[in-house]
Amino acid sequence: MTPGRLVVLELSRMEATHLAGLVTQFAELLDETGEGLPDDPAVLRLVPDAYADDAEAAREFRGLTQRELLERRSADAGAVLATLAEAVDLSVDGNDPADSEAALVETTLIRLGPDDLQAWLRTLAAVRLVLASRLGITHEDDHVDDDPRFGVYDWIGYRLDGLVRAADGDD
Amino acid sequence: MAPAIAPERAEEIDLGTTLDPHRPWQTVVWNDPVNLMSYVAHVFREYFGFSRDRAELLMLAVHHEGHAVVAEGAREQMELHARAMHDYGLWATVREAPR
Repeated sequence: MTPGRLVVLELSRMEATHLAGLVTQFAELLDETGEGLPDDPAVLRLVPDAYADDAEAAREFRGLTQRELLERRSADAGAVLATLAEAVDLSVDGNDPADSEAALVETTLIRLGPDDLQAWLRTLAAVRLVLASRLGITHEDDHVDDDPRFGVYDWIGYRLDGLVRAADGDD
Repeated sequence: MAPAIAPERAEEIDLGTTLDPHRPWQTVVWNDPVNLMSYVAHVFREYFGFSRDRAELLMLAVHHEGHAVVAEGAREQMELHARAMHDYGLWATVREAPR
């Protein structure tokens, strides 16, 4: 790992827009979560019991940590959306539909400093956990090739893996 | 970054029988079908400051054995580690070291 390294991510505007939509939904899910044991299994996966065999200790740990953890998740999601904002903004090209279409396939560069990179890594990993919960993935081999939602899941995994490699300096 | 005990050492301790009532506590990371192997190894390097090789071995232990002890020590410290692992989306628990 190289501290202070700047990672440049290449995304089409369409990809950036899609990703911003997913992260926005993720942030909304976090905002809707209150105190206590979450009802939603996808959220529960983000704040799992820290004690497997001690319900009292698990509850106490949750009481002390859950709110802050979800707030850090929201802050991470906010940082990701902030770095995506420029790539998603199509207003510069006016109202001609042909211009908008061309703009969507245009490639944009997103520059991530160390803090933003960590926010991206944690957020993409968490979005995958939520998607996996929605898709009912309980084994590594669970995959429905013609279900487009698995395409989204794979795509986030591909982007996460690329960022991990960049963060670790494998390229 | 807090120092952590290597899994090899944790296993040595597991094998020992002791009458000491003050058993150490452990942070355990469990395998899940979602987190990428590259990401889990990255988290171990990033958070614990492990070498690439050590992080890879620990990640493989989680993957193949279903879980691995990533740290051992005082309970409060193990809770901090578990909280940090949860921040990264890893499934971690705290326990007293098995006898």
